[in-house]
Amino acid sequence: MADTGAEVPRLAGGPAGWVSILIPAALFAWFAQFLGPVAAGEVLLIGFDWVPSLDIRLEMMVDGLSLTFALLITGIGTLVTLYSTSYLGAHPEYPRFVLYLMAFMVGMLGLVLSDNLIALFVFWEVTTISSYLLIGFTSDSAKSRRSALQALLVTGTGGLALLAGMILLGQAAGTFSLSEILTMGDAIRGHAHYDAILVLFLAGAFTKSAQFPFHFWLPNAMAAPTPVSAYLHSATMVKGGVYLMARMTPTLGGTEPWFWALIIAGGFTTVFASVLSIRQTDIKQVLAYTTLMALGALTLFIGVGTSAAIKAAMVFLVVHSFYKAALFLMIGIVDHEAGTREVGDLRGLALKMPVTFFAGALAAISMAGIPPFFGFIGKEFLYDAGLEAETARIWITGTIFAASVLMFVAAGIAVARPFLGKLPERFKDTHEGPWTMWMGPFLLGALSLFFGIYPDIPEVWMVGPATDAVYGSDVDVDLYLFHGINAAFILSMITFAVGLVLYLAHQRLRDGLARIIAANPIKFDPGWDRTLDGLRAIAEWQTRHLQSGILTRYIFITFATFAVAMAVTLWWQDVLNFRLDVANELEGLLFKHWAVLLFITAGAILAALTRSRMTAIAALGVVGIGVALIFIMFSAPDVAITQLLVETLVVVLVAVAMLKLPHLHVRTAEPHRPHHALLAVAVGTVTTLVMVAVLQGNLDLRLTEYFNETAYYEAYGSNIVNVILVDFRALDTFGEIAVVVIAALSAYALLRGTRYGTIREDGEALRDTVDDAVLPDPAARSADGEGRA
Amino acid sequence: MIGADLAILTPEIVLSLFAMAGLMAAVYTSKDGLAPALTWGTALLFVIMAFYIGITGEGSRTAFDGMFVEDSFSRFAKVTILLSAAAILAISQDYMSKAGLLRFEFPMLIVLAVVGMMLMVSAGDMLALYMGLELQSLALYVVASLRRDSVRSTEAGLKYFVLGALSSGLLLYGVSLTYGYTGTTQFAGIIAASGGEMSLGLLFGLVFILAGMAFKVSAAPFHMWTPDVYEGSPTPVTALFATAPKVAAMALFARVVHDAFGGVVGDWQQVVAFLSVISMFLGAIAAIGQTDIKRLMAYSSISHMGFALMGLAAGTAVGVEAMLIYMAIYVAMNIGTFAFILTMERDGRHVTDISSLGAFASKEPGKAMAILVLMFSLAGVPPLLGFFGKYAVLTAAVDAEMIWLAVAGVIASVIGAFYYIRIVYLMYFGEERKGLDGRMGLATYVGLIAMALVIGLGWVPGINLFGIEGPAEIAAAMLTR
Repeated sequence: MADTGAEVPRLAGGPAGWVSILIPAALFAWFAQFLGPVAAGEVLLIGFDWVPSLDIRLEMMVDGLSLTFALLITGIGTLVTLYSTSYLGAHPEYPRFVLYLMAFMVGMLGLVLSDNLIALFVFWEVTTISSYLLIGFTSDSAKSRRSALQALLVTGTGGLALLAGMILLGQAAGTFSLSEILTMGDAIRGHAHYDAILVLFLAGAFTKSAQFPFHFWLPNAMAAPTPVSAYLHSATMVKGGVYLMARMTPTLGGTEPWFWALIIAGGFTTVFASVLSIRQTDIKQVLAYTTLMALGALTLFIGVGTSAAIKAAMVFLVVHSFYKAALFLMIGIVDHEAGTREVGDLRGLALKMPVTFFAGALAAISMAGIPPFFGFIGKEFLYDAGLEAETARIWITGTIFAASVLMFVAAGIAVARPFLGKLPERFKDTHEGPWTMWMGPFLLGALSLFFGIYPDIPEVWMVGPATDAVYGSDVDVDLYLFHGINAAFILSMITFAVGLVLYLAHQRLRDGLARIIAANPIKFDPGWDRTLDGLRAIAEWQTRHLQSGILTRYIFITFATFAVAMAVTLWWQDVLNFRLDVANELEGLLFKHWAVLLFITAGAILAALTRSRMTAIAALGVVGIGVALIFIMFSAPDVAITQLLVETLVVVLVAVAMLKLPHLHVRTAEPHRPHHALLAVAVGTVTTLVMVAVLQGNLDLRLTEYFNETAYYEAYGSNIVNVILVDFRALDTFGEIAVVVIAALSAYALLRGTRYGTIREDGEALRDTVDDAVLPDPAARSADGEGRA
Repeated sequence: MIGADLAILTPEIVLSLFAMAGLMAAVYTSKDGLAPALTWGTALLFVIMAFYIGITGEGSRTAFDGMFVEDSFSRFAKVTILLSAAAILAISQDYMSKAGLLRFEFPMLIVLAVVGMMLMVSAGDMLALYMGLELQSLALYVVASLRRDSVRSTEAGLKYFVLGALSSGLLLYGVSLTYGYTGTTQFAGIIAASGGEMSLGLLFGLVFILAGMAFKVSAAPFHMWTPDVYEGSPTPVTALFATAPKVAAMALFARVVHDAFGGVVGDWQQVVAFLSVISMFLGAIAAIGQTDIKRLMAYSSISHMGFALMGLAAGTAVGVEAMLIYMAIYVAMNIGTFAFILTMERDGRHVTDISSLGAFASKEPGKAMAILVLMFSLAGVPPLLGFFGKYAVLTAAVDAEMIWLAVAGVIASVIGAFYYIRIVYLMYFGEERKGLDGRMGLATYVGLIAMALVIGLGWVPGINLFGIEGPAEIAAAMLTR
């Protein structure tokens, strides 16, 4: 970051920089025009057919909720891109960064505006992919690559669950259009698949918005450049899940599972994250965890679902976006100018960076919830809604109280610590960042104050319409700064008092927390690594045991599958209940039958046990001759002769071929293979059972009867087989003979003409090899992951 | 009468005659010197035949007493097969001549294999099916071991042959059982005889036939040959294996289960669903550890066949349509990917190790972007075409009330995404080592970029998947009427 002196009239990023600022700014202006109609209660639909064959129509639905999001996305987007021109403008890959960021913004806008579920999902995944690229932007850091992959896999998995949920919902509703689905809430809630839909949707929303137990990727994702953290991981992307939950409230909300799932996950995330935020020493991580806390609170209040709760959630959504983006950008400036974000190192920068300090202070006061800032209003509404909740009132209010206290402390850590106090020697030359950088936090901080003083403006244009859209009917929203001394106000005062005490003691608190966390056996980040390792272990197992490159094993598996398939079919069909009078059958066997049976069995066993190829072939020939004898015994000499001829031919041909083969080293290591014997027995048994079972059924004997009747009269032969071969299908027989002759000729040519050339050994045998470097760099593993948490 | 029959088979006959004439011409003239001309000629002929079939084909006709069926379903499959085989021939020319493998037999064997495939998808009878299948397989066994002085190539050919013969045996056993219990080998006769209660013999016949066909589509657990054959064969042959024969085998699968056993959907549905799940998961998980891009593509194709089978498992017209769309998109993605793999070179030698892709994006941003598009599409990332293929089969499965199958498919595609994204990761964020330095010929370059554009732009509003779903829908309706 060598461009600290970039205070020049033109932007550091060049044309890419200008483009990146103008696009969101223009979009912001475009969306602003809808403010009037939407505030008047209109829902605008703008759209066209996309993939008609799959019923996918691209339609934008602009209502209070989506417009609020769209304005936040484009508005904060403009400030963040302005900021990025200085922060990253000198980076050689800056245009690539701009491309990713714009792709992300388009995805995010699509997500909040889509009226079609599938289109929504598509944009949902666009944000996932582009955030992957953005988090991993500093690709020379192993940690950042690992975090990028983790974010991708966690949110990508959730996204696919969401897709499944959307397909189910589309089936249940008979349409993929959100505006229609929103009107049919009762039908969906009563649908047989409601529980499955809910679980899948929440899986998507919780992973995206980093709710416990999927929270672990978000703090790691802070490895991204600061503008990315400010934009994606605070103001926009992570709110995608919140958006989804808010959006689906009229359809999926209001049930017991919805309520408990959201308030438990949301509440737990809130407390858990705010405690962990105090534990951090890196200010960016402090902010990351308070973001988690905010997402938890939003989830919690959407879950509560009363009009007061929805109102509180919407106020808090807007409030949080302002101050949190400002704080992220602020710490980015500090990092940029002072070169560190460690709370222990930074001191007394207020005089060196006055504008940054001022902007940060505005935002921090809003975050701490001190009047007359917008944050105070947000907190008051949360308290109000919590106290009014019908169920779980203590849990909700308690959660918010704990979170507000800790937010107060976190605000102090984030701004008071680095800027106040005595300036250390090492920061003597630190100076203010360029205007492009402080403009964003300054404006956002100022808005936090402005909206606190004039709460009517956000009320009419954003919070009011958004609340109506989520709640499904008109809600009276009236934002005011001071509403008398009531329970919420008293709670606020207690919050400040406790917060102040805790802030003063926060260093001791941090050490205590660190000890507690170190003792906690459940760690998410290592768990994540273990999951990936496990997947890789399965892949390795499959390589070693299934795809070994050994043909024998492939054949083994094939036959095993075959045996299992047959056995399962037999079992399913329940056909093994026929009676086979074994005693009677055995009695019917004469000596000659026993002799042939012995003959065949001996041949088969010899073929299996011998180590000589020639013996094996000869033994198989014995089996064939035995079969021919069976044909003779049952008065089918023609068939027997055919069988003998074929058998002889096969034995001779194979024997000749084998003579030509090079000598093979018989491996002594594995003389007997019991599992092969077992498989052979299994296949034999199953095949026998199948044949016995199948032959209980009725063969289609039409053809046999036909030949029986016509053989003598039409062809003057009493042996059907003969007649078929030489009369009915004479031409076929001729063809078969020709084929045999051609085969014999080519076999002869092949055997005679084969010369053993030198065969190139061009590598190892064909088998899977396992790459040790498949998974993200071990160096970046969780050595510092949860440990820091 | 026979004249009319032959007229229906015009494309197959033309191609067969061309193969024989080509062989003769080459043997009696300059032998391998004629190979380039033959390769391009074959590709051109394939394209002409594809257009001929696509434009002139109409309605549904049968030849040779129902042995051969020419209908909208077979036309869809044939056009896909012919075009993909033509594309593979076009992109393989450079590789073959560099590797000294430009033999005149290569294009001719491919013609024979393609004729086999066309017969397969048009089969109206078990025996016609088997003849087509064997014509295809025998030609492919040979091309797998085309590099016959290489241990790996011959090993690939041998493994393919042994396991292929085994599967043919299973298939034939099933056919004879079917024949024994229905008295016919014609699909029309089987469907008439199997309606209602199914006899046990016929059921086992069906199981055997399904197992035999599972080999050909390389569905797990009958997939064992795929990775070894993909790796050992010369790369253009691998590219061929990954495309046209897969379409043919999948179309054949659809035809048999619907045309011959369409009356007993419940009996094969579970089997196909089982094959689908096992293939999706095995392909997805096993690919993770691969270091060789050809093996990786082998597992990828196993997994993709699982998805295509999911459409088939639905047992509905929508399912068949989804399967056809899926296969068409799959083929396009594979042609593009293999066009790139064919040109992976370092110091004038062909390489296939994935690690050689490290930091490829900084050297060749355009090509890397094309690969990125293809990989994300293979992974099923929206809004690329691969996603719409997956979406279609998932919807079909849900429509058929097979929600568990759809959920399994979603999970498998998450795991599968891992290794496609890993390739992208290597190209963009990977360590720079001695990477690829080969130049791309025109044909491969066009192949790569064109397919990336198709995949990357097919979703753009107005293009509407290039309108393939219209013919696919008609084709599916034909099969499941």
